[in-house]
Amino acid sequence: MSQRPSYAVGTGLFIVLGFAALAYLATQTTSVANSHRGSAYEVTTRFVNVGQLKVRAPVKVAGVRVGSVDAIDLVPGKEEAKVTLSIDDSHKDIPDDSVATIYTSGLLGDQYVGLQFGQSKTPVKAGGELAFTRPAQQLEEMIGKFFGGGSAPDRLGGTFHVTGNFTNIGGLQPGAAVKLAGVPIGSVESVVVKPGSSEATVTLAIDKRYSQIPDDSAAAVFTSGLIGSQYVAIQPGGSPEYLADGDELVLTQSALQLEDLIGKFLVNGSPSDNKNGSAPGGNQPDNAGKK
Amino acid sequence: MTTRDDNVVIRSLAQIGACGLFLINILGAVPRSFRYFSETLRQIWFVGAMSLTIVMTCGLFVGMVLGLQLYDVLSIFGGTSATGTVVAIAIYRELGPVVTALLFAGRAGTSVTAEIGLMRATDQLDAMEMMAVDPVAYVVAPRFLAGVVALPLLAVVFCAMGVFGGHLVGVTWLGIDNGTFWSNMTASVDVHKDIIDGVLLKSFAFGIVVSLIAVFQGYTTPPTSEGVAYATTRTVVASSIAILALDFVLTSFLI
Repeated sequence: MSQRPSYAVGTGLFIVLGFAALAYLATQTTSVANSHRGSAYEVTTRFVNVGQLKVRAPVKVAGVRVGSVDAIDLVPGKEEAKVTLSIDDSHKDIPDDSVATIYTSGLLGDQYVGLQFGQSKTPVKAGGELAFTRPAQQLEEMIGKFFGGGSAPDRLGGTFHVTGNFTNIGGLQPGAAVKLAGVPIGSVESVVVKPGSSEATVTLAIDKRYSQIPDDSAAAVFTSGLIGSQYVAIQPGGSPEYLADGDELVLTQSALQLEDLIGKFLVNGSPSDNKNGSAPGGNQPDNAGKK
Repeated sequence: MTTRDDNVVIRSLAQIGACGLFLINILGAVPRSFRYFSETLRQIWFVGAMSLTIVMTCGLFVGMVLGLQLYDVLSIFGGTSATGTVVAIAIYRELGPVVTALLFAGRAGTSVTAEIGLMRATDQLDAMEMMAVDPVAYVVAPRFLAGVVALPLLAVVFCAMGVFGGHLVGVTWLGIDNGTFWSNMTASVDVHKDIIDGVLLKSFAFGIVVSLIAVFQGYTTPPTSEGVAYATTRTVVASSIAILALDFVLTSFLI
């Protein structure tokens, strides 16, 4: 028993070291703020689309964390998400006309709710609602916009098919958008050259919602921007009859070849040799049309 | 205790059953063992403080190798800044409690088994009973309590050393930014989920299991030198299996 004090001291040191290590882990390697559930008030928002937003995702003002997402529910009977934000009591002064936006940290990071202050003098109340929201940006849509073709609309409502014959479709690919007044209304279903014909037959699948297209409308192959992808533009005519499934668009305008345009511009006329393809609207099918 | 004709399954079941009854026995003896509190303290010193060297060294190296491996893999995805996060979470949730418990079973569990087994083989336990000293209260319970107290503390020290090792490799050696390392770690590690549930709860459960197996094997060892040798081996084998199996069960409940 004479050694008891040294054991006691050693054991005490061991226990103190253990708790010191625990304190170190708990304070230095974790964020106590993460699990800090101090007094907070709740604000609801409604989003058309929450994307990948998750419960406990941060709520930020000017990039500073002010709270977290408490719950994400579907608004009953609506295609809307109700997001409940839990905001710390120390941030009581958020204007009630602030805009809630779902952002992504970085390109692939987690999503969070950002609040931009409005002009209102009255702060949002506990249990109140932020009416102005912007939904999550879907990366696919952004990329679609960027590449200019525009996303073809989904075909939930079904489609009807019309065909058009083009002497030259340029780089038009199946799946390219069909646009009316710049709005995508369908997509190119197929591009074929019928046997015995020198023209490309393009089948367009148009959403049934856009059934009221005059049957003397013209179809033209356009390019979005200078180097964008090609799409089919429908230019409405004046006929009282509407296009029906299986109809043919008689008036077509073929793709403009950039090379031809430059050639015309430079030599003031169409190129004399036909190696590079015919002038737009010419009868000679070029290589691109002969798939 | 058992005949050799018995089926392996029956024998294992009998062992587990006897082990459970022994646990109840120990828990009943715990209040009486407080009379021998200095003995408990001495055992904490022996199984806990004396295991610090091996636990700290191993923790350091586990953290270092994790840092190295994760840096190598994460650099494929350009995500080396997540090294600290992954090192911390891997150590807190799995490696810290599990490796510490395995080391503890090898370092302390075997010596407890051998000590009690030798007491049994040399009739010391019987002598205590003759002197009206309850061997469960005086010998077994202090060692059991010491293991239950020491293992969580050792696991926490292991984790701290592991994070330090990961920092050493990641920041000092491989050049991850110091601030990025810590801020990513603090942003992702949660006190409740990772430290309390991950480190403390798991290592507490492992402490109970490892200590129980060690004292049970020692207490029920056949009183021969061969019996003590087998008992020591069985402690390591049974502890390792129990730790890893329990780890899976606990994780599936905690996650």
